[in-house]
Amino acid sequence: MILSVRDFAIGFQREGQNLVAVDGISFDVEAGETFVIIGESGSGKSLTGMSIAGLQPPTAFVSGSIRFKDREMLNRPDAELRKLRGPEIGLIYQDPLSSLNPVWPVGDQIAETLTAHGLADRAEANKRAVEMLERVRIPDPRRVASAYPHEISGGMRQRAMIAMALAANPSLLIADEPTTALDVTIKAQILELLADLKRELALTIILITHDMGVVAEVADRILVLYAGRIAEIGPADSIMLQPSHPYTAALMTSAMISQTPAKQELNAIVGGAPGLGAFPAGCRFHPRCPRAQDDCNTVEPPRRKFGAVELACHHPIEVAMSLQVARS
Amino acid sequence: MSISTQPARWTITRPKGVLLPLALLVLAILAAFTLLPGVIAPHDPIALAMADRLKPPSLTHIFGTDEGGRDVFSRIVYGTRYSLGVAIAIVFASALFGVIYGAISGMARRGIDNLMMRIVDLFFGFPALVLALAVAASIGRGLDSVALSLAIIWWPGYARLVRGEVLRLRERPHVEAARALGVSEMTILRRHIIPFVVQEVNVRVTTDIGYALVAVTALSFLGLGANSPTPEWGLLIRDSRPYFGSAWWYLVFPGTMIMLTATAFSLIGDALASRRAA
Repeated sequence: MILSVRDFAIGFQREGQNLVAVDGISFDVEAGETFVIIGESGSGKSLTGMSIAGLQPPTAFVSGSIRFKDREMLNRPDAELRKLRGPEIGLIYQDPLSSLNPVWPVGDQIAETLTAHGLADRAEANKRAVEMLERVRIPDPRRVASAYPHEISGGMRQRAMIAMALAANPSLLIADEPTTALDVTIKAQILELLADLKRELALTIILITHDMGVVAEVADRILVLYAGRIAEIGPADSIMLQPSHPYTAALMTSAMISQTPAKQELNAIVGGAPGLGAFPAGCRFHPRCPRAQDDCNTVEPPRRKFGAVELACHHPIEVAMSLQVARS
Repeated sequence: MSISTQPARWTITRPKGVLLPLALLVLAILAAFTLLPGVIAPHDPIALAMADRLKPPSLTHIFGTDEGGRDVFSRIVYGTRYSLGVAIAIVFASALFGVIYGAISGMARRGIDNLMMRIVDLFFGFPALVLALAVAASIGRGLDSVALSLAIIWWPGYARLVRGEVLRLRERPHVEAARALGVSEMTILRRHIIPFVVQEVNVRVTTDIGYALVAVTALSFLGLGANSPTPEWGLLIRDSRPYFGSAWWYLVFPGTMIMLTATAFSLIGDALASRRAA
């Protein structure tokens, strides 16, 4: 186990009110797996990802525990966190163009990861930068290393970002919506690259996304986050093929746009995700849930285990129900 | 006649096409004056020639002569070093200090940032003229005391500008990305923030040189700056006042120089700003 999150909560204080964005979630990430955190905007998925690297907003208050390789990451001094970012944890972001500094050549920025940690001198770092660009399958890495971000394509930029994040050879890569800004074909290439690199470099990947297509492509295990709580967590196959939580099921059906016959309405989830500080009582999904009953309005569903899957729902979908009956 | 219900549309058109090259020409002339005054000026700017007292513009003295018979054009040429030189020094020193101060304030924690900005407010609130009087009284009147007092009131503008920029840039994704790679705050400031701040500061510096020139000459005009016989432009105007009725050239040419120079820097600053925006 490389990462262990226990009762992690993060929130903000606004006008004297405590607004809790992520409310007590626990999960483990095993070394070598691709762990996907999926949720709508505002579900707290990015905050969770950033907090793992100690990059939560300075105004946020946190509680619980995030242990990475047996080191507590929450409330760790920033100077120590900085030493871990790069050599232990790499991050890539959504928009590679704005995440690259427009005034320096791409190779310079990859080299910076190494020089910042004193892992190499200038010349050595520049050489390694070219190697990293080759590693992320950029043809003509020497040219790209001396190019400025605006001179290369979007897909190349995201590859360069990945090269930056992996230059100092981290064991964990956190990818926050790495393909959202890319078009469909490039998206597939980047996901393939991530899968290859994971194998070659023995990486653990935490992928944060709202895109079911991405999940299907790469996930080993999935965590479904809704309004700051875990809806469902388990192996990708079980969750993708037989979602037990009504929210997960709704996400799956709303994603299958290509299979929806023409003229039939798309399966959108009714309503919108609740905003920060406006989470409903009981099960947070109940106002939008087709299976909601009276207890959902008042009683918060506990997290329960059904086979390999754990979920928080009073009335999960049949397959899981049958398991529950079989157990009792 | 029908009355239009449409509000009148005013478009401000600026004949940039002509003005910018003119401004650059003025700048080139000023550079020549500053670098090679001995080559350009036909006469000695200091030596008296009482026989040529207050002569109107002629071929030998194209801007006329002053009450000491000195060539006004030559005095203007030599004076560029003093007037413009001091203005540039004030702005550069203020910009340098302001950038450092503003950058620290922008990167610092809220408490320190607040304290640093209140200090800036303090300097902002200080009236320039009173400060100049105080400085002149304590270290003596001269261009150095003008430079000092103007720099003291000038830097807070840069500190504020830079702090604001740093706060804005700090949230940029590429800064976040650098932070996520464990790059230190100092390196982030130097490599990922300052290069962008400099673009803003460049524009401000260019326009400010014109304003600083007006301020320097104004203080000299008021008797707080340069001492005779220094050919400083503001002092030239001050010295010309008793003779304005009979020797218009003595006042008009230095005044025109100040106006042209200030306008040129303002125009170039404008052009830089709009090129940044485009």
